[in-house]
Amino acid sequence: MSETSIDPDRVRSILTRYPQGDGSGLIHALQDIQAEFGYVACEAVARLCEHLNIPLSKAFSVATFYKAFSLEPKGETIIRVCTGTACHIRGSQILADELSSLLDVEPGGTTKDLKFTLETVNCVGACAMAPVVAFNGVYQGNVQPGALTRKIRGGK
Amino acid sequence: MRINSVKSLTRAAGRARGERKRLETEVLVCAGTGCLANGSMDVAEAFLGAIRRRKLEARLKLGFKTTGCHGFCEKGPLVIIQPQGIFYKGVKAKDVKEIVDQTLLKGQVIQRLLYRDPNTKQRVEQYAEIPFYSKQHRIALRNIGKIDPKCIDDCLAVGGYTGLAKALTEMKPTEVIDAVTESGLRGRGGGGFPTGRKWKTCREAEDPTKYVLCNADEGDPGAFMDRSICEGDPHAVLEGMVIGAWAVGASKGYIYVREEYPLAVKHLQAAIEQARERGFLGDDILGTGFSYDVQIARGGGAFVCGESSALMKSVAGEVGEPRAKYVHSVIRGLYDKPTVLNNVETWANVPWIITEGAAAFASLGTKKSTGTKTFSLVGKVKNTGLVEVPMGITLREIIYDIGGGIIKNRPFKGVQTGGPSGGCLPEGKLDLPVDFDTLTEAGSMMGSGGMIVMDDRTCMVDVARYFLKFLVDESCGKCVPCREGVHQLHQTVNDICAGNGRPGDLERIEALSDVVVKASLCALGKSAPNPILSTLRYFREEYEAHINDRKCPAGVCRNLFTFRISPEICNGCGLCAKSCPVDCIAGEKKEVHVIDASVCTRCGACRNVCPTDAVEVI
Amino acid sequence: MSEKVVNLEINGRGFQAREGMTILEVAKREGIPIPTLCHHDALEPVGACRLCMVEITHPNWRGWKGLVTACLYPVEEGLQVTTESQEIHQVRKTILDLLLARCPDAPYIQKVAAEHGVTATSFKKNEVQTVCILCGLCVRVCAVKGCNAIGTARRGIRREIAAPFGMPPPDCIGCTSCAHICPTDAIPWEDVNGVRKIWDQEFEMVRCVSCGRPIMPVTQLEFEAKRAGISPDYMTTCPACSQQKTLETIRTAFTIKRPASEDAVEAAS
Ligand SMILES: Cc1cc2nc3c(=O)[nH]c(=O)nc-3n(C[C@H](O)[C@H](O)[C@H](O)COP(=O)(O)O)c2cc1C
Ligand code: FES
Repeated sequence: MSETSIDPDRVRSILTRYPQGDGSGLIHALQDIQAEFGYVACEAVARLCEHLNIPLSKAFSVATFYKAFSLEPKGETIIRVCTGTACHIRGSQILADELSSLLDVEPGGTTKDLKFTLETVNCVGACAMAPVVAFNGVYQGNVQPGALTRKIRGGK
Repeated sequence: MRINSVKSLTRAAGRARGERKRLETEVLVCAGTGCLANGSMDVAEAFLGAIRRRKLEARLKLGFKTTGCHGFCEKGPLVIIQPQGIFYKGVKAKDVKEIVDQTLLKGQVIQRLLYRDPNTKQRVEQYAEIPFYSKQHRIALRNIGKIDPKCIDDCLAVGGYTGLAKALTEMKPTEVIDAVTESGLRGRGGGGFPTGRKWKTCREAEDPTKYVLCNADEGDPGAFMDRSICEGDPHAVLEGMVIGAWAVGASKGYIYVREEYPLAVKHLQAAIEQARERGFLGDDILGTGFSYDVQIARGGGAFVCGESSALMKSVAGEVGEPRAKYVHSVIRGLYDKPTVLNNVETWANVPWIITEGAAAFASLGTKKSTGTKTFSLVGKVKNTGLVEVPMGITLREIIYDIGGGIIKNRPFKGVQTGGPSGGCLPEGKLDLPVDFDTLTEAGSMMGSGGMIVMDDRTCMVDVARYFLKFLVDESCGKCVPCREGVHQLHQTVNDICAGNGRPGDLERIEALSDVVVKASLCALGKSAPNPILSTLRYFREEYEAHINDRKCPAGVCRNLFTFRISPEICNGCGLCAKSCPVDCIAGEKKEVHVIDASVCTRCGACRNVCPTDAVEVI
Repeated sequence: MSEKVVNLEINGRGFQAREGMTILEVAKREGIPIPTLCHHDALEPVGACRLCMVEITHPNWRGWKGLVTACLYPVEEGLQVTTESQEIHQVRKTILDLLLARCPDAPYIQKVAAEHGVTATSFKKNEVQTVCILCGLCVRVCAVKGCNAIGTARRGIRREIAAPFGMPPPDCIGCTSCAHICPTDAIPWEDVNGVRKIWDQEFEMVRCVSCGRPIMPVTQLEFEAKRAGISPDYMTTCPACSQQKTLETIRTAFTIKRPASEDAVEAAS
């Protein structure tokens, strides 16, 4: 896996937003790290732990407990299939399966070429347009089976 | 800028109202998440461009704003023109020019953009006359869609923070608690615990440091009421929280917002800053000497963090594991201090109760479930969206009168409320009044307001499997019955859906569910078997068909059926063949089409598009 | 803990206890057995295994009764506890049945399950089988030690006990408390030739200045000395030798008249 190297200055600038020694900032700081680097890199978390004065084990527990964090870099395009209840009964599972076999990754995984990450989310709140799939945050509603294959094949 | 007394609040509100009155026309574009997803930002930009280019502001005394969710997400993007109350749906950026030319400049209504009642086929011009809205009663959603949530003056113009002013200057904290108690308000987050009683216990707790929190985690997948409130009227939530803080004596609080709701975070953050600036939050609120401040805590994507003790752990930056609540969080909550946690909608009701009076609230709804409740009405219903109705209304009224019935007029099969902790109710329960106790008795629950309508093409075993999968993913894994027990329940139902069900499975499911309910540590586990128990109660024969006949009658569980085109019904239109992603449907135009079952993936695309319902499940 | 004394009943017999004690503490004191898996007297209870469930009710509760975990529930005046019933047995059996599906090869779980009449799991065995029951004792003992080297990772059925980022934990001192407290021996470790291996890490051991046997890892020695605020030099004798030394010191002190042996002189100096 080609890991983006972690620029210590960028980490430092995140740390300055959080008071030293206050562990309650952990989740927010991890969110910032995730947003900045696309994943919670071990080096960045280690620095964060020193800054907040918390054990690395605790940060690791938090980083693996919450779905918002990824320990590995994500793909260029993040495809999120909404699997909220409304989307489910309008067929989102079929879409997730279709993407999974097309990209050859399980939900949560990233393609080897780092082009796509496939995720499922519990409801993006656009239930009226179910089933919904978001490409890098841009929603597409009322998705029919086959449409995603065409879209991705077309874009490839 | 800072408002230091009730008098100066009244003045500020008057100014804001005057500002509004000056306008002769106002264009409101819905910018809730649903409409945004449908492209409402393009519409808004097109309007702004046109207004600037053609100097409409001065020419027409025109006001323009983007608002929170109007609720009728199905028809978005929505544009409303006030004061005429013209309601345009499905507006595209390219329609804007026509709206400006015809409606704004000439006063003519564009028929094409009006809502058409699917039953009467009539075009409806007025917002208020659309059945979707006319049956609703909006308290928690009172300002949403009318105001620009990013603008505190807009909020003041419609009476924002007058409830707070009244509470702080005319009422003692205990009187506030009494008012909330008398209103009969019960928690809207799902449990329905009496809010006044919660506040009273917290107030009486000895520790002088107290917290007042807001639960905006909205974990129910298929619900977006709380998000719409935070996005569309964040000041109502803040105002409620400050009133609550005054009542219980708290000086600090948090709003715990779900990670998937970036817009809600943005609007809440802006509202907090504006409220601080104006003196509604922070030190010496409204010049009364009372201080209370709020921060946002963002969730990390974990359903269990909606549970109160897990939420408090998460606010403190820890793993969101619930603890046993033999000592309640109103006594020992966040950082072990007495803590009041209420749901977004609960908070949004509070200012209304203070300004309009407890009796006004109590007069709505039923005796034990007063007021209104918002629901996100979704699934196989014609008018999906956000609705607020008086408690006690029947499920039928919500689904058929407001929701317009089932898509394509298919048969109704069930309605799911209460999310992963709730249950599914069948046709026979449609006339039940919607209130906390009735729904619980029927084996479902009110929940936070997700209402998912299902038709005959929904498989109830699959629905149970869906929720169990959700809970397996979302269980924190701390206690054995929830971690291992729900996993086993999921395995069993998975097997049933895959065609590997065994006789006795249903009895085993019931026995294990009983232990999971009794022995789990928190309410997530305790209620995890609800979706399966309620579907077993009302749709047992569907489970039996899966196990005994290896059939999925609804045509969902892919190992248990095949599609066939009925030669008697097929009119040879060819839509099915076009929609098929694997090209397994053959047939000449105007001839009967045939599915090659060996290639068919059973995705159901053909069945969805067939205009004559010729695609059968066998 | 408060000094207030409350009266309660367990299985129909009356007892007194300090307010705030848990049901389990009182039951243990009175010799009433309640099975547990995630409890240890020296650690904060967490209520994870749910094996200790008992039924409670109260004369004022208008007939309401329910199951609670004995390890967490604080006793109160008038509380009535039942530790054995059909329902409680069913709960305990199911929990052990579930744990057996997870850990079919853990001897300790097999034993406890058999004691409750479960000899084989009635469920489908988990895809990933382990001997770890996730009682969390190891994580708690590590925290009490002040190391916090290991923790839980992930959630739900995929939850596990792990070292951060799957690497040798930087905060581990090699004390093996986690391995010793583990009821199912799920944490492997070994001492070979003065080197300790645990959590994919090797620790150089300090040898006893008297007998030369390895005592504990250097890291642990330094950690414990620092925590106790003493010089590490005071801790370089193994427990056996230091007991020997103490005995001999005492003996010398009381047998002045006897000519001191060379060893004793050495020990006393
Ligand atoms: C697993 C679980 C998830 C929950 N999720 C939410 C939620 O997303 N939003 C919410 O307001 N309450 C949720 N609750 C209920 C809260 O625990 C709590 O009762 C509620 O926030 C109290 O506010 P209320 O009295 O105003 O409803 C959840 C409870 C459980 C057990
Ligand atoms: S000993 Fe009480 S739950 Fe494990």
